[in-house]
Amino acid sequence: MTPGEEASVTSDFVRSYVITGGRTLPDADDLALHTLVTLAPERTPPLGAGPEVMSIWNLCAGGYLSVAEVAGHVGLPVGVARLLLTDLSEQGHLLRRAEPPRAQNVDRATLEKVLNGLQSLIG
Amino acid sequence: MTSLTTDPLLWILLVVLIVAVVAVMRARRTNMALRRTRKDLETGLGEARGDVSQLHGHIAGLTAQHQRDLADVRADAEAATKAVLKSAMGTLQSLAEEQQVLLDDLLKKYGDTTDVLGDLMAVDHTGSQFGRRAKGISVLCGGWLGRRDGAATVYDVARSAQGRIRDFDRVGVHSQVNVSLVGKAVEPVAVVLAELLDNATNYSAPGTPVEVNIQTVPTGVCFIVDDAGLGMDQETKDRAASLLSVDGPVDITGLGDPPRFGFAVCGMLAARYGFAVSVGSVSPYGGVRAVIRVPESLLAADAPSPAADAQGTVAPESAPQRLAPVPVVGPSHVVGTTTGGLPKRRRRNGPVTVVPALDAGDQEGTSQPASEVTASRLGAFARGTQLGRTTNTMEGSDDQ
Repeated sequence: MTPGEEASVTSDFVRSYVITGGRTLPDADDLALHTLVTLAPERTPPLGAGPEVMSIWNLCAGGYLSVAEVAGHVGLPVGVARLLLTDLSEQGHLLRRAEPPRAQNVDRATLEKVLNGLQSLIG
Repeated sequence: MTSLTTDPLLWILLVVLIVAVVAVMRARRTNMALRRTRKDLETGLGEARGDVSQLHGHIAGLTAQHQRDLADVRADAEAATKAVLKSAMGTLQSLAEEQQVLLDDLLKKYGDTTDVLGDLMAVDHTGSQFGRRAKGISVLCGGWLGRRDGAATVYDVARSAQGRIRDFDRVGVHSQVNVSLVGKAVEPVAVVLAELLDNATNYSAPGTPVEVNIQTVPTGVCFIVDDAGLGMDQETKDRAASLLSVDGPVDITGLGDPPRFGFAVCGMLAARYGFAVSVGSVSPYGGVRAVIRVPESLLAADAPSPAADAQGTVAPESAPQRLAPVPVVGPSHVVGTTTGGLPKRRRRNGPVTVVPALDAGDQEGTSQPASEVTASRLGAFARGTQLGRTTNTMEGSDDQ
């Protein structure tokens, strides 16, 4: 009966399906990995917010963060963080900004013109 | 005279007399022989009786010896079974733990793939239940649970226990205290709570809620499990009470088939770690109320800081909800002040966290620089890149 016999346990103490309450996870399309989220101004945390929601709340209070960053900082699987963020979003606590538009592909002719122009300038 | 000697009658008489004498003597001899035989027989009988009683004594001795040997053999067999089971369960325990650690990684790795994540969570759920069974049997066989290195809040302990049973989605956890258990008590309390929740969900109708309320009492913290089942009959109550108050090894072969480990595991762990488990009172919903009382000695002096703000802000949530079951809490509020005599750390934990938790959470949200700085830096970076891209695509092309 020496405590030394006990092996250390390192798995996550609260399992993720308890955090989600066994609910179906939201689709990845809604809040994509790179969607930026932040707290709406003048908001108070929802009643019944668990520790995970509160740490997301505190994290998002500082400014825009991407969904992936939120999940990383809170240490939750992205899908779980996304569910909690979706909850907050549905309650109107969250502002979000879709991913910035991708840079347009400029056609090859223009690029060649630029290249030629540069070469003529430099060389 | 001659007439006499010639009288045949006389001769006849003489002969008869002789025959009679001979007969009497023979009879006398026979009689004496019979007497001797009888005497021999009587002594034989006495000896036989003596032998019999001696044999009875011997038999009694042998029976007692036999019983003792049987008890010894049973004890040996039980010990041997336990030793084998303990080692086998130890292997299963570490495999289950290994699997959970693996799943932790997998859940993070496939976190963005919703379907896979959902399936992994289902696997995780069955794995957790499996781990709990292995731990329970291991404990009964004298084995050990794993030890958590850090303290954990009572709310997390309850949620961890919730995750180890099948119908976890029927369980609601309400905590109005911000107290943590010391590392060594975390797993035992979680396992015991899981067993009680398992009972509560199994012996109440599907779909009915099972509530876990966590409250402070003068001598520590109570986890109160209420179900809306039919309650327990007297026989079950007695059995539960006897299993919960065990103080020594449990006879695992006497737990029925299929074995009902639950209460035995609770009693064993409670005795080993020094907390108390009781069942048998009636819950407000008409079912069973089970209570785990964790003494102050198993409470961590200071709540772990990251959990503190999160947990603190959870408290106000539960406070209004608590209003209905509060009757039991009534004493605990009064208690908060009477606890004055007890070590001060607990008194500080109780009220301070319950009442101004909301303020504390808000202050941390607004004034705590670390998270804000991180977030604003990252946010600024994100804004910067976005701005950069828009300027590139718009103005760049215009200039050129």
